[in-house]
Amino acid sequence: MAAAATLRLQLERSLEARFPAALTPVPRTIREVAATGIAAVDELLDGGFPVGAISEIVGPVSSGRSSLALAFLAARTNEERICAWVDAEDAFDPESAAASGVRLGQLLWVRCGGGKRKQEKDWTRIDQALRSTDLLLQAGGFAAIVLDLGGIDPAHGVRIPLATWFRFRQATDRTRCSLLVLGRASYAQSSAAVVLDAEPMRIESLGGTVLHAGAFALSRRRQRFQPQSFGARKPPASTWTASAQWAMEQSA
Amino acid sequence: MSRELYLAIHAAEFPAQALLRLRPELHAQPVAVLDGPALQQTVCSLNRHALQRGVVHGITRLEAEGIAGLQPMARSTAEEESAHAVLLECAAQFSPRIEETSRGTACAFVLDVGGSERLFGPADTLAAQLGRAAAGVGFRVAIAVSENFYAARMKAASTPGIHIIASGEEARALEKLTLALLDLSIDQSETFAKWGIRTLCQLAALPEVELVSRFGPAASRWRALAAGVAAHNFQPIEPALELREFCEFESPVEEIDSLLFVAARMIEALVARASSRSLAVASLAIEMRLEGGQTHRLTLHPAIPSADRKFLLKLLHLEAATHPPQAAVLSLAIEAVSGHTSKVQLGLFAPQTPEPSHLDVTLARIRAIVGEDRVGTPALEDTHRPHSFQMQALRAAEQDRSYAQPAARIALRRVRPPRPIQVTMRGEKPAAFRDGDECFSIASAYGPWRSSGCWWSLDAWDAEEWDVEAADRDGVALGCLLVRDRLRNVWQLEAFLD
Repeated sequence: MAAAATLRLQLERSLEARFPAALTPVPRTIREVAATGIAAVDELLDGGFPVGAISEIVGPVSSGRSSLALAFLAARTNEERICAWVDAEDAFDPESAAASGVRLGQLLWVRCGGGKRKQEKDWTRIDQALRSTDLLLQAGGFAAIVLDLGGIDPAHGVRIPLATWFRFRQATDRTRCSLLVLGRASYAQSSAAVVLDAEPMRIESLGGTVLHAGAFALSRRRQRFQPQSFGARKPPASTWTASAQWAMEQSA
Repeated sequence: MSRELYLAIHAAEFPAQALLRLRPELHAQPVAVLDGPALQQTVCSLNRHALQRGVVHGITRLEAEGIAGLQPMARSTAEEESAHAVLLECAAQFSPRIEETSRGTACAFVLDVGGSERLFGPADTLAAQLGRAAAGVGFRVAIAVSENFYAARMKAASTPGIHIIASGEEARALEKLTLALLDLSIDQSETFAKWGIRTLCQLAALPEVELVSRFGPAASRWRALAAGVAAHNFQPIEPALELREFCEFESPVEEIDSLLFVAARMIEALVARASSRSLAVASLAIEMRLEGGQTHRLTLHPAIPSADRKFLLKLLHLEAATHPPQAAVLSLAIEAVSGHTSKVQLGLFAPQTPEPSHLDVTLARIRAIVGEDRVGTPALEDTHRPHSFQMQALRAAEQDRSYAQPAARIALRRVRPPRPIQVTMRGEKPAAFRDGDECFSIASAYGPWRSSGCWWSLDAWDAEEWDVEAADRDGVALGCLLVRDRLRNVWQLEAFLD
């Protein structure tokens, strides 16, 4: 072993003019993560969504994107942090948020598309949502911001300039904010630290008469800050369950 | 016991000073203030530059307009009241005992500054500080300090600059002043003129008994005033803190930027006055009088009281941009409500939250983008009616530590407004529905969940909810919340399960 170490040292010294520390592993920065409160998802994400980075949850309607985002916000607001939901389609449901455990008093809701014109175009809503998100990120102090583009046509979403996402990435990194983007397709591309693919919901019922829960399948498409593990690999996919809202009333 | 000491402050040509205070661009120009009925306006006040151009009090508007370069302005009582409050506020910083001695077009106060040497230093230092404070709020004032109330008042009213009258030197300080300071009647003034008595020194030298026998008991007081020995019973006023600024424009202002240019100085003056009492501005009420007689009102409520002029101006800018006046502005009034300066104790382990003043500006900007009442925190209403909430302002301070996070729930994505759909029933359950051109088959439907309420009022509701598992033509599954309005027998797509 001593000979190997000596040999490595000699090689590094001979190459240090061109490659500093050529054979020494680069020290890995441990990224701070924020748990979602759902064990299966946290296991898939190695602890939770990264802090100071963009995460995307991609999937069709009824794939659990909103439920997962609300669970994440519930965990963040319960840590007495301020969060925001930028709602491009004005589809946020406060009752669902309250049932999921989100402290509504610590959640800022920005409802886009509610101008004087009744029918706002997709682009107008996207523009409002992006500008609002930009302002919130610049203001700082928000632990998490959910940019909900879940109902936006992907043909419009993919036309969001990459410079916008790059700016968001820089801002999230600077302000230690977790930006969660919900969409039907991946929009942030290389600026996203985590991309999760959500599959349509599988409904679980009680005796075929009452909707009891929904099972959601989730797979990890991208995770930039994933630690290199040489042992057992984490599963790239996971399944998690959310109960119906009435279940809370039943338990209470 | 400390000796008596009075400080007189005299702002001459106050109508002109009140108008020029918020218009620094006119400071280097000759300005004359006109007063009176529309066709009989005469000059009632003027500035130093106008005096140098030969303008005198009492000339008509026509004569004033004939003088090249002279800027005639209409007298504004509202602006004078506002300026009066500002000058009084300025004086109140140096003494709580103030008596008003304003006469004619001058605004004057006498301050009882006896015993204030340990606070402000000797009389000359105090006078210099007061002069600087008055200049800071836009006034040129004459100041005199004396142990005699009237000596200080008359000296300040007649001689510009700062004068400190030493004890026992009152008569000498007043010797060259004219009899006009004694408020004599025309007949009395003419009599003194016939006698060749024109100055206070000459009056004080007259024998008292003979003077009283000719003019009555009042003559004894004139003589005492002229000698600087008249006694005075001080009658202090109690200035209330009124944070209000008013500006009337010569011509209607249409551009927001021009308006903000004036508003910036007004806000600066308000903040300075509040800060002088260790207070901050808790809210600002802006009132604009518009062409056509309408009034446009704006209100600013920062999250915490602030003494940051730029921050308040930015809020006003954003508010004015969101709610611009619908016509040109004739006058602008800003009234501030004071509040205690708030200090936030940050904790080493406390989570990071948005800085309140930054958050105010950010929310105002977002409101300008998405619209009023579209930004805030949702607050659920205490009712069984589905989808009932109100938008409230974000209050980061309200925290409840005794709150447990429940397990994950299925969230809804609301469809606003709910879309009317056509539902095909199979038995008592929905089997398919059509949303516009799209058809969906329903694999399973769970319900109905019925709710109703307010049957006694016009906004009664009676609904039947169905949780359905649907699939479109391509077989893509989705969960929906369908609602049948039993009052109107209409089906609507209310939300998606997501």
